[in-house]
Amino acid sequence: MPDLHTVGKRIPKIDAADKATGRARYIQDLALPGMLHGRILYSKYAHARIVKINTEKARALPGVRAVLTGDDIPDIKMGVYKDNRPLKKDKVCSYRDEVAAVAAVDPQTAREALKLIEVAYEPLTAIFDPEAAMREGSPLVHAGNKTNVLRMPWKLHYGDVDAARRAADFTVSERFSTTWVTHCCMGTSGAIAEFDPANHLTVYSNTQIPSLAQKDFLEALSVMGLKERRVRVIKPCIGGGFGSKLDTYAYEYIAILLSYHTRRPVKIEFDRTEEFLATSPRQPTVTYITQGCDRNGKLLFRDIRMILDNGAYTSWGATTPSVMMMPITTLYRVPNVRFEAKCVYTNNTYSQAMRGYGNPQATFAIESTIDMLAEAAGIAPIEFRRINANQPGDVSTQGLRITTCGLTECMDTVKARLEWDKPKASGEGVGCASLIHVGGGARVYKSDGCGTIIKMDDYGKIDLFTGATDMGQGSETVIAQIVAEELGLNVDDIHVIHSDTDICPWDVGAHASRTTFVAGNAARGAAMKIKARVLELGAKELNAPLEKLVLHRRHIQHLDDPETKIEIGKLLRKTHFNHGGQMLMAECFYDPANENMGMDFRGNMSMTYTFGTHGVRVQVDEETGKVKILNYVAAHDVGRAINPMLLEGQVYGGVMMGVGYALSEQVLLEKGETMNPNFRDYKILTAKDVIPIEAPVLETHDPDGPYGAKGIGEPGCVPTAPAIANAIYNAVGVRIKDLPITPERVLAAIREKKGLDLCGRKREADPGEACVIEE
Amino acid sequence: MSRDITFTFNGNLLTLTVEDHWTLLHLIREELGYTGTKEGCGSGECGACTVIVDGAAVNSCLYLAAEINGRSLVTIEGLAAADGTLHPIQRAFVDHGGIQCGFCSPGMIMSAKALLDENSHAAEPEILEAIAGNLCRCTGYVQIIESIKAVSGGEPEGPRVVAWRGDDPHPRS
Amino acid sequence: MRKFTYLVPKTLNEAISMHTSYDGRTRYIAGGTDVLVKLKEGKIGPDYLVSLKHIICQDQPFLNTETGELYIGAFMTHRSIERSSLVEHQYPILHDAVKNIGSVQIRNVATIGGNLVNAVPSADGAIPLIALDGKARIYGPKGDRLIDLARFFLGPGQCEIQGAEILTEIIIPRLEPRTGSAYIKHGRREAMELPMLGVGILLSLDPDMATCAKARICLGVAAPTPFRALAAEAYLRGKSVTEDSLTEAGKIAAGESRVRDSIRGVAWYRREMVGVLVKRMGLLALERARNMELNM
Repeated sequence: MPDLHTVGKRIPKIDAADKATGRARYIQDLALPGMLHGRILYSKYAHARIVKINTEKARALPGVRAVLTGDDIPDIKMGVYKDNRPLKKDKVCSYRDEVAAVAAVDPQTAREALKLIEVAYEPLTAIFDPEAAMREGSPLVHAGNKTNVLRMPWKLHYGDVDAARRAADFTVSERFSTTWVTHCCMGTSGAIAEFDPANHLTVYSNTQIPSLAQKDFLEALSVMGLKERRVRVIKPCIGGGFGSKLDTYAYEYIAILLSYHTRRPVKIEFDRTEEFLATSPRQPTVTYITQGCDRNGKLLFRDIRMILDNGAYTSWGATTPSVMMMPITTLYRVPNVRFEAKCVYTNNTYSQAMRGYGNPQATFAIESTIDMLAEAAGIAPIEFRRINANQPGDVSTQGLRITTCGLTECMDTVKARLEWDKPKASGEGVGCASLIHVGGGARVYKSDGCGTIIKMDDYGKIDLFTGATDMGQGSETVIAQIVAEELGLNVDDIHVIHSDTDICPWDVGAHASRTTFVAGNAARGAAMKIKARVLELGAKELNAPLEKLVLHRRHIQHLDDPETKIEIGKLLRKTHFNHGGQMLMAECFYDPANENMGMDFRGNMSMTYTFGTHGVRVQVDEETGKVKILNYVAAHDVGRAINPMLLEGQVYGGVMMGVGYALSEQVLLEKGETMNPNFRDYKILTAKDVIPIEAPVLETHDPDGPYGAKGIGEPGCVPTAPAIANAIYNAVGVRIKDLPITPERVLAAIREKKGLDLCGRKREADPGEACVIEE
Repeated sequence: MSRDITFTFNGNLLTLTVEDHWTLLHLIREELGYTGTKEGCGSGECGACTVIVDGAAVNSCLYLAAEINGRSLVTIEGLAAADGTLHPIQRAFVDHGGIQCGFCSPGMIMSAKALLDENSHAAEPEILEAIAGNLCRCTGYVQIIESIKAVSGGEPEGPRVVAWRGDDPHPRS
Repeated sequence: MRKFTYLVPKTLNEAISMHTSYDGRTRYIAGGTDVLVKLKEGKIGPDYLVSLKHIICQDQPFLNTETGELYIGAFMTHRSIERSSLVEHQYPILHDAVKNIGSVQIRNVATIGGNLVNAVPSADGAIPLIALDGKARIYGPKGDRLIDLARFFLGPGQCEIQGAEILTEIIIPRLEPRTGSAYIKHGRREAMELPMLGVGILLSLDPDMATCAKARICLGVAAPTPFRALAAEAYLRGKSVTEDSLTEAGKIAAGESRVRDSIRGVAWYRREMVGVLVKRMGLLALERARNMELNM
């Protein structure tokens, strides 16, 4: 590949100065003239019949402009299964259920008004444990259904697992569980809705999916009797996404409904408590897994049964098994695979996508048991993984086609950089875990495409309109780099405009680590079209053969004769200000050639796959159970790093989120009620918890990626928990199978291993007897 | 009740009437219209609303507006030079990848400024202590710490390694 | 936030008369980091907030060299105590505690007095002050009174302060010679934590620098209020301070604690950590006592 002048460089984020100066505007910072403030009343029960709602007093409060309940609104359906509506009618199924909403002249009045709404409930039996909810006779979350198990047949069997199991020399069977964790975007959720006199709607919203949100809102308008109207979705700066904004939510519809009723712009902005209570976390899982290998350590089969707590309604969380299938079938070479997942309705909060989309839960079970299997087979952990590593050209049982793959190199890098074999102190241990993730889009929707429009001005500057949505990861910068590279311009010459459906072309959304790959290819495609036109014009102007011309440093120049050249602006102005003048514009809609899954779930869902291995050295305090991370190496095959600085930022941030997932974070739900809706007790890590981390980048130059790049948004948090769990086992010989790995769990396991009870006393004849703690 | 207060706001003397129950954050964002200071939690647990009062970093969400009387207040809008040139800390955050979604950035930068104003050569432990009250979900803090170190004179650490390339005939790993 | 009138007295008497004249509708506020959170959450709703922020008082911990008493003004911020080199070097147990309360932003405004009168079981400030045998000076309509901090806390959220009374000062008696002390907050993160458990220990040694002359062990979140593990203290007295004796003292202290399950930690684990951390803080206090002696 020739020298690149922009791609591969550590170029600062285009919007960073705006954010460093406080100039960037988030939903919290937006106000429209005459804007009202909406607020939502949530349920007081996990499961109850709504007997009566009295809104009279609230309506009478001065400053209140509208009060809505489920009876006041049309039947707008939300959710993947259309099992939810913005304001509940007749029944609530979780504490976060929206029961009523108000619009008032200021936030304080709106809060006061909520207190005046009287709701009479008749509590119903609720169910919170998904395994219990699956049983026959369990109370039903949705009365119309026959069972709480969602009708999504996540079930595949490739090869013959039972035969492979009989043939295996070593097998390991275990149960693992993961818990509720949540995104904790620093900017809370919010939306402003506004109708014009013709009932065209504009929604400013925190969303990762402007185009799909537009479609959802159009459907809502249609239900409201407003057919043939337009919807414009504008996404201001958002304070983090991580999957939380992949769907449209009740608060957005409520803002729309309140705005329609009041004919005024209405803003709903969550406070932090509400953000914890009423947004959708990552779903907990219970995983029963068996893996087996032959005596040489070659994996023979993988058999997984999984139960997901979906919560009360469906969102994308209910579809995460579609992505879990990828590591389950294709992390390492596995000839025989069986997988069944059941998503179960409960009266808990409902779940959503979160960075990794099911992959962290699946990888926790897979990579923990890989370590156990390696031990059973008497093979060192990294060696065992090398034996089974995916290789370029592989096609997995699920039909995933591995193009480029640097997995083995990632393992070697981790082993070297972590100094794996270096002598260890007492309580010190090393562990690793690998990952596969979609790196070239993910076809989970009818289209995985992204559109780009480029217009060039008279000076060679570019306005680029992309469907891509930036949520902080730096997609606009990466797109600008790709276009600048293609056109021989500077990054400063590229103005990237995004996140406005009136202006920008369609895109399926910022998810699945797809933006660099898909939006990058779309931008490059449009740039190549412009480039062809510019060179054509240049050839005419310079009287030189087309194939001899290049775009370099804002000039069209002759390859063999650098003095034969013309400045790009000069050429463009000549083209423009002439009889029959022309402006240069180009568009490209790139939809990757990946495949939707078939009935048997086979299909190459991504154009390419990102691989990585994380290694960690820990120190376990055997008296307190505390785990300290001494060193962390996260090596990824990223195809090519378009911008190493932003790429490292994705890895560092992902790993720290993963460390939180492994060690400290948990939404504590007690009978469906969130007990820790604040940063005091929901423990995302602080700067003082930061760990020494290295993020080596391995470049395999993917043939399908823009300049060889693959996606890297999510992988950082995928194998973190099992890498840490494996290191803890290596350190002190205890295997923690439940997340988070709290000091309590580690200490309890250490005591159990030593034959002690929780109080550190020798276990008596009956090991099941708990120690008595007198209060 | 309301009262008249006088204070220095980003270098300019300001006199205005505030309500007793207003927080400083409310005064800055809603009354003065400077929205660079963010509210992340409203209870002093995230640091997004950090401003500098008489040289000390404080959470403006837990500070009464009335208490700013007679004091000096600096917000994120007061850092860049009059001609728009970024403050060295802002510049460092931009150049070292210290900013992703940006919601924590103003508060983070104010905490860093309060530290470096007092101790321009702050070392890593002091930097970590100074920003421990500023939560960030995007960066894992690594590049934020590098950004501050770049100003305090400590060498920016952190690996810059490319371990292996597809077109590299001699892999280095 | 609910509306209120903010009153700014300049003297204690003025503050008390303001509090008294709006009896029942008033709250004192100093740094405000707890009061404002409660106000926002609607847990309190006073019509008047009487600020203690502008009452003239000392701004640094002050050591009376004649009596050996240390005076800490109740309206001092955690930050000013944290930055006192006197506290850092001679009362490390207090330094350990205040430097880990909240964040720099919180410590810049929150006061030690506020931390005490808030009387939550997890108040980090209380543990070292009790271990140091501190007394609280309380000023009220009837004048001044002194009370042992060990008796100051009555229950979760409840303390000795009544009506218009104001906690004005904490007085630490002269340190015994050859004394070392240490405090640890046990939590899950390295910062921004309320303690799952707080353990403070103060050891005074005999001239042999090995035998315990006096021990004070104070535990937070191990019972409804901070408390002294008296039996463990008694056990240590006269014994050589070693890992073994401290381990035993830790076990006794664990037995004295009345821990319970909460969202921040389970009872059995808290109890076990009392044992571990009493031992560890004991060893640290011993080391500090010896270092101090060496540096004398």
